Amino acid sequence: MQTPPTTTVPVLRLPRGPDGLSRGFAPDGRRAPLKPVVPEIPESQESRESQEQRARATLRERYLRSLLAMVGRQVSFTLHEGVHVTAHFGATDLDVANFYVSQLQTPIGVQAEALLRCSDIVSYTFKP
Amino acid sequence: MAMRQTPLTCSGHTRPVVDLAFSGITPYGYFLISACKDGKPMLRQGDTGDWIGTFLGHKGAVWGATLNKDATKAATAAADFTAKVWDAVSGDELMTLAHKHIVKTVDFTQDSNYLLTGGQDKLLRIYDLNKPEADPKEISGHTSGIKKALWCSEDKQILSADDKTVRLWDHATMTEVKSLNFNMSVSSMEYIPEGEILVITYGRSIAFHSAVSLDPIKSFEAPATINSASLHPEKEFLVAGGEDFKLYKYDYNSGEELESYKGHFGPIHCVRFSPDGELYASGSEDGTLRLWQTVVGKTYGLWKCVLPEEDSGDLAKPKISFPETAEEELEEIASENSDSIDSSTPEVKA
Repeated sequence: MQTPPTTTVPVLRLPRGPDGLSRGFAPDGRRAPLKPVVPEIPESQESRESQEQRARATLRERYLRSLLAMVGRQVSFTLHEGVHVTAHFGATDLDVANFYVSQLQTPIGVQAEALLRCSDIVSYTFKP
Repeated sequence: MAMRQTPLTCSGHTRPVVDLAFSGITPYGYFLISACKDGKPMLRQGDTGDWIGTFLGHKGAVWGATLNKDATKAATAAADFTAKVWDAVSGDELMTLAHKHIVKTVDFTQDSNYLLTGGQDKLLRIYDLNKPEADPKEISGHTSGIKKALWCSEDKQILSADDKTVRLWDHATMTEVKSLNFNMSVSSMEYIPEGEILVITYGRSIAFHSAVSLDPIKSFEAPATINSASLHPEKEFLVAGGEDFKLYKYDYNSGEELESYKGHFGPIHCVRFSPDGELYASGSEDGTLRLWQTVVGKTYGLWKCVLPEEDSGDLAKPKISFPETAEEELEEIASENSDSIDSSTPEVKA
């Protein structure tokens, strides 16, 4: 990979994608029509939900940081049918559907650059 | 120091993105709708690309999608022989308009009272959205499937393109006023109300015509077959993309190629400038939409210009904010980004 001669424009974050759970149009979104006040949900239920959400957010952040830590390292992948390959991890795409790797050691040779589909990966491991 | 363009990739579609459209500028900013062969058109915030919702209901590939000016309504054209009108705030389907063949194109009038549709049955149809049960008015004349139909001249005229012709119709009399013939397939058409300019792409050509008379103004040749082009609102630049997966930016006045960008992994099917001209969006066979800055390095939307002495680990807030953005929302945006993405991460092709 060539080093870029200039810097790339920094971004605050990437665009948010679909949540994969609903069709969106969040009721509390920017353009929500004014609704009558909904009766308050019980205190304990509300805090459990927000606790869960906080836990989800923490786990997600940890996972994303683990991906950042993997960059440039040698990673061993276990694929289906007991296949093992190793490669240098480069990046993942937004939905973590593909891993971009280099120097992929496969049973039939070394691939300089490759995309591993996450659906093909059973597990992976690396040493930071 | 020159900065390299960082396109913002909007994922979510699982098949090629074949059409996209921006709304006008509303008090909530502007919005973007994308049509996809996966049958699930999506609404996004125009300046960030953030997904807002998916319009669920079509049973086939969606070929065309549009928003009305204030982004309260959306319309889609699909291979399931229907056009649908949606509430763009709630995502609910408002109307299903049955056609006799694949519908390819939809366009609202300025007042959102009428919807123009066109498709493989070679008929232009005008629906009164206040009387959805009534039969649409039909205009015949095209001899091949209609690819794009647009209102123009303050909705007094209609422009429509099929494979080899572009025709101008008078709305009141429903008759053809003029037509242009091409010996290559017309791939796209864009109408610019201010200045009444029509942008037509065919083969490697990007042509500009008067929308009123269809007289040619100028045309440029690109290095590859172009599928779509868009003219900047201030008519300084135009962008175009096509079969070589690249986006090209030209100076409209001189025709000089200013920039070109690789990044998509498939042919580009549609490209449009945002209503404020600050960015342009491209939709591709690779299933993604990408947002590109018009002025690379400018702070806008999710792009933040970092001066050399600034700490790149700053919690940064977008400098542009729309009136309705609440304080809590700005905080939410700031706290989501613990680290700005810096250039030490492996190079991703722009």
